[in-house]
Amino acid sequence: MKKTIIAVLLLAFVCAGLGLGQAKHPSELKYPVLKYDPPDPKAFRTAYAGGLRAYVQEDRSLPLFNITALVNCGDLYVPKDKAGLGTVLGDQLIKGGTKTREGSTIEDRIDFLGGSLSFNVGERTSTLSLSVLTKDLDEGLALFFDVLMNPAFREEPLKLAKARFVEQLRQANDNPGGVLSREYEKLLYGDNALTRRATKATYDSVTAADLAAFHAKFFTPKNVILAVAGDFAKAGLKAKIDKLAAGWKGGAAAFPALPASFPAPEPGVYFIQKAINQGYISLGHLGLQDTNPDYYAVQIMNFILGGGSFTSRITTKVRSDEGLSYNQGSRFSYRWGFPGTFSGYVQTKSSTVGYAISLILAEFDRIRREPVADAEMETAINYYLESFADIFQSSQSTMMSFANLEMTGRPMDFYKTFRSRIEAVTKARVQEVAQKYIHPDKSVIMIVGDFEPCNKGGDKWPGPLDKLGQLRKISLTDPMTGLEIKTP
Amino acid sequence: MKKRILVLALAASVLAAFALAGDVTLDVKEHVLANGMKILMIPKPGVPRVVCHIYFQVGSINERPGITGSAHVHEHLMFKGTEVMGVTDYAAESKIDARIDELMGKIYRERFWKDAGDAAKIAAWQKEVDELVKVQKAYIIKDDLWTQYMKNGGTGLNASTSQETTGYYVTLPSNKVELQMLMESDRMMNARFREFYSEKDVIMEERRLSENQPGYFFGEQVDAAFFAASPYHWDVIGWMDDLKKMTKEDLVAFHDTFYVPNNAVAIYVGDFDPAAIVAMAEKYFGRIPKGPDLEPIRTGEPPQYSEKRLYGEGPAATSLRMMFHIPPDGHADTAALGILAGTLGSGGGGGGRGMGGGGGTGRLYKTLVRDKQIAVNASASSRPQWYVGSFQFNATPRVDKGVKPEDLEKEIWAEVEKIKKEGLTEEEIQKAKNKGEAAFTRSLASSAGLASRVGRADLKRGWRSILTDLDDLKKVTNDDIKRVAATYFVKDNSLTAIYTRKSGR
Repeated sequence: MKKTIIAVLLLAFVCAGLGLGQAKHPSELKYPVLKYDPPDPKAFRTAYAGGLRAYVQEDRSLPLFNITALVNCGDLYVPKDKAGLGTVLGDQLIKGGTKTREGSTIEDRIDFLGGSLSFNVGERTSTLSLSVLTKDLDEGLALFFDVLMNPAFREEPLKLAKARFVEQLRQANDNPGGVLSREYEKLLYGDNALTRRATKATYDSVTAADLAAFHAKFFTPKNVILAVAGDFAKAGLKAKIDKLAAGWKGGAAAFPALPASFPAPEPGVYFIQKAINQGYISLGHLGLQDTNPDYYAVQIMNFILGGGSFTSRITTKVRSDEGLSYNQGSRFSYRWGFPGTFSGYVQTKSSTVGYAISLILAEFDRIRREPVADAEMETAINYYLESFADIFQSSQSTMMSFANLEMTGRPMDFYKTFRSRIEAVTKARVQEVAQKYIHPDKSVIMIVGDFEPCNKGGDKWPGPLDKLGQLRKISLTDPMTGLEIKTP
Repeated sequence: MKKRILVLALAASVLAAFALAGDVTLDVKEHVLANGMKILMIPKPGVPRVVCHIYFQVGSINERPGITGSAHVHEHLMFKGTEVMGVTDYAAESKIDARIDELMGKIYRERFWKDAGDAAKIAAWQKEVDELVKVQKAYIIKDDLWTQYMKNGGTGLNASTSQETTGYYVTLPSNKVELQMLMESDRMMNARFREFYSEKDVIMEERRLSENQPGYFFGEQVDAAFFAASPYHWDVIGWMDDLKKMTKEDLVAFHDTFYVPNNAVAIYVGDFDPAAIVAMAEKYFGRIPKGPDLEPIRTGEPPQYSEKRLYGEGPAATSLRMMFHIPPDGHADTAALGILAGTLGSGGGGGGRGMGGGGGTGRLYKTLVRDKQIAVNASASSRPQWYVGSFQFNATPRVDKGVKPEDLEKEIWAEVEKIKKEGLTEEEIQKAKNKGEAAFTRSLASSAGLASRVGRADLKRGWRSILTDLDDLKKVTNDDIKRVAATYFVKDNSLTAIYTRKSGR
């Protein structure tokens, strides 16, 4: 079938090429039909020794081998008094060495081969990833499984890592964007595992035994899904992985309860003082999960509101019309197992902070009040339909997408049905979900900036900021102690 | 509009060029249009998408004092429409736009040319401008080009300006490459810089975003002090004064000089037939007249003859930076300097041009971070650039142990002196070569990354330089390492910048 597509395309290209008119405007262009069917996860699903699941694709285009272990574990599963354990684990799974190899021996060897081995701890999923040339597949795979199964968490590298992470805490309040996203989430989710931050004391408390216990609990074959792509034969790879994972023990992990309810913060303005020349702003509230049936309509709605870059209303109004900002828009973030956030965002010079916020709030209101235009719907829906194949450009990231679907329990036909669900979204549905998921009256408006000029405003929107709602000033915490910094 | 139909012997016009590195092939098909514009193609059958990039040999080094930042401002304005895009009635709209320019010209003279301009006059003119902008808005189709790309499935949609190049990017479904050829050729010929004044406000906000990154101002001063004479002296974003005072005339002149086909390379990577791409390129890009030849940059960096030192304080981490002048890309010493950076420590950065590597395996990490425990981070990078290069060491001291940037400076000099005498180990050199080869193979996997690397490389030294650089890397010996260390790592060729976190912030 692939060949016929190419043939049709070729014919069309050649016709176009032979001078059948030079278009002056995109509306004059006629495109040949392009049919694309996404790959089916079932065709790549396999299982190895001990029930270790995997999505595997042979891809012989380059002499490369890529493998990622997606582990169901992350910062959310870290005990309260050990905040930062995830960060330390992220560093020490490799640097702490294995039962038979020093961490630096592993790193030096991978480096000598021109490969890469990295471990990243996320909110609920973590990934160990290896990339090597095909000729080094056996050696790379052996190191990969050794790190995955047998980490040793040696004392010396652990001590160093903790000291370095404590030092890096000093920078936690330097970057206004970092401060804003941290404090915004803290306000929306409250004080729980989602927003807990490491301090010097919690870093200091992390021991090698803690890391080993955490690893033993979650790094089991049933709690891991592999994503593999590259230059190999599936059967040969199975034999190798079965052998390496043969002694890997452990059943299903028991997971701690996730935060289930969140405080509803008082709407209004929350201000964090920082002597900079712009206000960094987020405004919104909690959103929804991507497993919600409204997900598709919300995607289209947000594309029109502020997610579709220059085609979106917030960008057109705030940036293009008014020249108030470089970076602005709206977004729904999605998280596994609980709602993400909805936020409008912008960074603008101090004197136009109030004005930019008022324009974004007006767009929140408008998309709830009025049906969107046909042209807006067409652009949004076509964007998702026409760019769909992009998701599958890399065989390794395709395998990762499938592994993620399975790990987070989303339907395995997610990609197969994606386009028809997007196509089914109507203008009425867009307005319905705007009313359901955007609540200007319940929004918190958080600003990081220099209070006096922000509060004063400018010609188009003179202050004070409490015109936007009750004003509260938030003090930052000392990242070393987690205690409030007393402003002089 | 000229109407020319070109019938081509397509197959004959495509030069297939194969180049080998190890057992991996970089296969780039080349076609040069009569106007000098080069079309590069890397077919990758599979998912029906095509990465479409255009690169121009122009960046902030092509500016001069007074118009710094204009390459980047111009890149923004390329999205503001043409005679056919972004406008409903060009004839009517262009009259309004011309009047806005005339009034803004008066305002700029009154405001920027005089010590005490007439505020009342300025206000009156500004009022008229505001009214005209409202009228003009009725004719403007906002972000038309962007919308056309997006509704046709364009992803990776962006543009960027560096010191040396400007690129325009989109990835499209395989059946829609013609859209890119049409719109990109149209804006090369017919760009009209509408909304110039509000877009400058946007760019000033972009600059402020940089300014609010911890340590930005000091970093900008450090670069300006290091590159004293060459146009690498200013940042791509430009000085705020120039952004304020730049005129549309400045931009039009800039466009006419640099946005000519003989200064451009278009590259396509993905699932397509090269003959079809060539036919479309002839049709759309082929219609643009050739421009005058462009002179390379005149001013390099004169020898310093003395060490430079800069001290700063502010709201960012205490840190050390040491910089050394090195020769530009393509010089015989570039490969050895790259190996040195990679072996000493990670850092690299520099959009693929810098060569570094190592992280936990770099010498500086092992010595300063792991064994002596006096640094939080320590890295090295080599950035040859097109005309003048820099080699950098960056390190953050362990403040908790009372370590000062000057302590790390001494340690790095000790390491450098050791290398001058002993060079590196054979294993370290071999590792750097292995990494170079593996990185090359890996770079072929990402279509967008490949387009960027091959397209940019082609502008200056030809895309084959990617392969000859790899060959050069394989030839480096320990004597080369000792020689380049002795040549470039000397005080009179250096700038040392010491930044201290100001108390209370």
